[in-house]
Formats: sequence, C-alpha cells, structure tokens
Amino acid sequence: MKKETLLLLAAVFVLPLVLRPAIAAEIWIFAIFGLGLNLLLGYTGLLSFGQATFFGSAAYVAGWLLKHYGIGVFPALGLGVFVGAASAALVGYLCVQRSGLYFIMLTFALNQLFYFVAYQWTSVTGGEDGMPGIPRPAFLGIDFTEPLPYYVFVSALFLLSLWIMKRIVESPLGRILQAIRENEVRAEAVGYDVARFKLAAFVIGGAFSGAAGVLYAMLFGIVPLEAIGFVTSGNVVFATLIGGSGSLYGPIIGSFVFIWLSESVSTLWARWPLLLGVAFVIVVLFFRGGVVEAWSRFWSWRSSKPKT
Amino acid sequence: MSLLAGQILNGIATGMLYALMGLGLSLITGILNIPNFAHGALFAIGAYLLATVAVTIGNFWIALLVAPIGVALLGLAIEYVGIRRLYAAGHDYQLLFTFGLALILSESIILIWGPVGYSHLPPDILRGGVDLGFTFYPKYRLFVMAAAGVLVLATWLFLEKTRYGAIMRAGIENKEMVSLLGIDIHRLFTVAFALGAYLAGIAGALTAPIRGLSPGMGVDMLGIAFVVVALGGLGNLLGAIGAGLLIGVAQAVVAAYWTEASTVVIYAVMAAVLLVRPQGLFGIR
Repeated sequence: MKKETLLLLAAVFVLPLVLRPAIAAEIWIFAIFGLGLNLLLGYTGLLSFGQATFFGSAAYVAGWLLKHYGIGVFPALGLGVFVGAASAALVGYLCVQRSGLYFIMLTFALNQLFYFVAYQWTSVTGGEDGMPGIPRPAFLGIDFTEPLPYYVFVSALFLLSLWIMKRIVESPLGRILQAIRENEVRAEAVGYDVARFKLAAFVIGGAFSGAAGVLYAMLFGIVPLEAIGFVTSGNVVFATLIGGSGSLYGPIIGSFVFIWLSESVSTLWARWPLLLGVAFVIVVLFFRGGVVEAWSRFWSWRSSKPKT
Repeated sequence: MSLLAGQILNGIATGMLYALMGLGLSLITGILNIPNFAHGALFAIGAYLLATVAVTIGNFWIALLVAPIGVALLGLAIEYVGIRRLYAAGHDYQLLFTFGLALILSESIILIWGPVGYSHLPPDILRGGVDLGFTFYPKYRLFVMAAAGVLVLATWLFLEKTRYGAIMRAGIENKEMVSLLGIDIHRLFTVAFALGAYLAGIAGALTAPIRGLSPGMGVDMLGIAFVVVALGGLGNLLGAIGAGLLIGVAQAVVAAYWTEASTVVIYAVMAAVLLVRPQGLFGIR
C-alpha cells in the first residue's frame, strides 16, 4: 500500500482516540464535502462559492424523510446523493454558461436563493431554528446512535468516497477536466464540449456534497439553517485552500485543520467568526500556499531522507 | 390599485439603491478584476455610520455627507493594505481575503453596535408623506429616489465626461494597454475601490431610515449586488440601473401579495432571466 493510504488508515484509527468521536466523524464528513468541491476547484478550475446549496438541500430532504417517514440510513444516503446531484445540475446549468467572476457570483447568488427558501419555508425547515429530531436508524442491528459505530460508518464511507474520487480524477473524464483547467480554449478547440464537462464536474461535486450533508444531519440530529448558508460554502473553500487544492488529499488535511480549529475556538468565544475572518486574511496575506508548500516540503524532505 | 402603485414606487426606490450597489461593485470587480465579497459589509458600515453620526451630532445631512466618505476611506485602506498585494494571486485567494474581511467587518458591527437591530428615523423635514393623487407616499422614499438618481447621474457624468472617467472605462476594457500608456494603474485601482466603497456606503446610509439597521443587512445586500452585476454586466451603467429596477420592482410587487417570497423572488427573477438570456440582460461578456 502507498504511504498516503497507510497514513489515512492510521488517522482513521487514531482520530477517535484523541478527539471526541463526534468531532472525528465531523472531520471525515467535511472531508467528503471538500473532495466534492475540489473536483471543481482543484481539478476543473471552477471556484464555486455555493457548495452549501447541495449540502443543505440534501440534508433537509433526507432529514425530513428520516424524521417523518422513518427511512433507513442507506436510502437516506442515496437520496442525499441524488438531491445533491440534482440541485447541482440545476445550479450548474445556469452557472457554467458564464465564466470567471460571473461564475463565482452566480454560485453565491443561487446559494442565497436556496438559503432564503429554507429560511422562509418554516413549516418544513424550521427556518432559523433548524430542523431538529433527525434520527440515526439502526442497520442490521447495528445501533448507530452510539458514537463509535456511527464513526466507523462515517469513516468507511469517507474511504469509499476517496476511492471513488481517485478513480474519477484518474479516469478520462478527470483528465478532460484537468485539460479544461489548464486551457479552456484549447480543450474546446480539440473538440470537447467544455460546458457539458463543467456541468458533469458540478453534478459529481454536488453528489459528494449531498452525501456529506446527510451524514452531517444524522451526526448532529439537526439541520441548522447555517448548513445551507454562505458561511458553510466559504468554510469548505477555506478548508480546501489551506489543505491545498492541488492534490487529492488537500481537502482532507484542510478539513482536519479547519474542523479541529473551529471546534476548539468556537466554544471559547461567541464572536469566533471574527477570528475566522482574521485567519482568512492572515493566511491569504502571509501564508498563501503556505500550508500546501509546507506539506510538500515536508514530503520531499521525508522522501529524500533515505537517499542521504 | 393604490396599493400596487405604492409598491411599484417602493420598488423603484429600493431598485435605485440596488443599482447603486451594483454600480459600485461593478466598478470594483470590473477594474480590479477581483470578487469583492466585502461589498455588503461596506454597505452595512455605511448605514451604521450614518445612524451613529446623525444621533451624535443631531444632523442627518452632515451624517449623510460624512458616513459614505468614512466608508470610502475604509475602502482606500483595504485596497492599500491588502488587496493591492493580491492582484497576482488567483480569484480563490482574493475571494478568501474579501470574504474574511466581510466576516471581520460584520462581526465588528455586532461588537460595536450589538447583535439586535434597531430603526433610524429620517430627518424631520422628510418625515410623513405627500399626496401624489393616486396614492399617499412617504417623503423620505421620494428623497431616496431623487438622491440615488442624482448619484447615478453623477457617476455617469464622471465616467463618460471626465478624463479620469475615460481612463477608468479603459481600465475595465484593457488594463495592460492603460498601464502601457503611462497611467499609474495602481492609483487607478485604489481610486476605483474607494469610489465603489463610497457608492456602497451611501447606499447603506440612504437605506438606514427605510429598513433600519441589523448586522445581517450587509450579507443580504451582497447577494443582491451580485444579482445586479450578473444581470447588468460589469461596468455597464445602464445595465446596473435596469437590473436594479427590475429586481426592486419585482420584489416590491411580490411583497404586496406574498410577503414571505419577497427575498426569494430577487434570485428567482435572476434565475429566470439567465434561463432565457444566459449572457444577462444586455448581453455583454
């Protein structure tokens, strides 16, 4: 096995021993969310600032059915993937026709559309209070209400998601997306329907976001309004960038850093978004590519060691 | 009938404010080529500054003069200290920076002015309403329409009839060429950011007596400013006015019959327009 895989497996085993299982599970859930964004941001060169749209929509739909119709965990998960992909297809169809700054602004504006629907549709979503009381149904006698079995479930799904994403980025589709990132005009010129491939990336990214949204809803037993808000969209961009959008593993590292930081700071001060903002500004001004660079430098140092 | 007429007038008043927001954002985004996620926060700061100055010195007019200048100076500082260093960075880092700024500014609003919103009354002379024949209408909103109209006109005259305005328009079209012609492009960027911030600030200041003040007002307006730019086109003045009025009036008319949907309708109108015309209302870029 490769060292990345070994390191990840080690992390999956060690994390619940050093952190609360809920936080450890949140890290892997956010990593699935980040994997979906990074297919757009890192591999296709599309900066989407509206990923919470798919995360939140899936969480609400699956949460509602879990709560009122008692569906199982796997139907809920499948439904979340579908809702994430379908909402991404809708949003993506409008966004991929524009590029650059227009694209970013449209993803944000359509995120606001979904947010305000959730905000006003209080009879379903609970509005500002969120949608509480989402169960974690048992599967084949495994009681997921216990933190540890649910952690195992989440981390297994994370590893599956990572494997699927690895297959996608290494597939011909993944190569075409990277070609679009490198040179959109040339990709178009050699005959690829760029808009259609961008939409495909959007839909796949949405499916991952949807899966993450459902797991998140079951983890906390509630879909808070923030789940579909722009701050969530911003957080996943931030996590992916600090981890490094250039690699498959970047969002995983970013998710670890981001969740661990936010969980430890948010309990200290109610105005912690202020600190988050300061962190964004400092990272951009002084450590741009810093974490990524530090990481790759660390690895080249590691791999160069045996030679010396 | 008079309800609908009144709502259309309301829509024109808020639509003009949306146009101001979109215009300012369009200058910043078009010239500096950055996504400015702090534009809504600048709007909110404008509103809070107006209310604070007006209450402190007891004069609305001086506050209306001072508050947007304060926001412009803040914009100047933001460009000079931060954004200036990010022109070579990708949109992702620029976005993260302006988003971080937006978080800092809106959290600072909560720290300084408190988390609970409050209202701010218009000056005595603009309180009450006038009979327009078909409807009785608040004076202050008529003033907002006129003031926003004057501001849009002034911006248009500046961009179209002055030398520096021409340079600015050229900056939207082709930055390298402007730079090669010996014009200080960095100063142009600073001026554009300060001007965009000024427009956001004065839109906020004018809004305060209509909608009151709340920490969330900035984010709500940010989305709307994006809609105006997406529909109207970058650097397109008429586009900003058209898009601003379209969503302002649509929102106000829907609010009369279905209040809950009044915010959603802004984005729904945008989605509908883009479905028919992906290139936006006036089809540029």
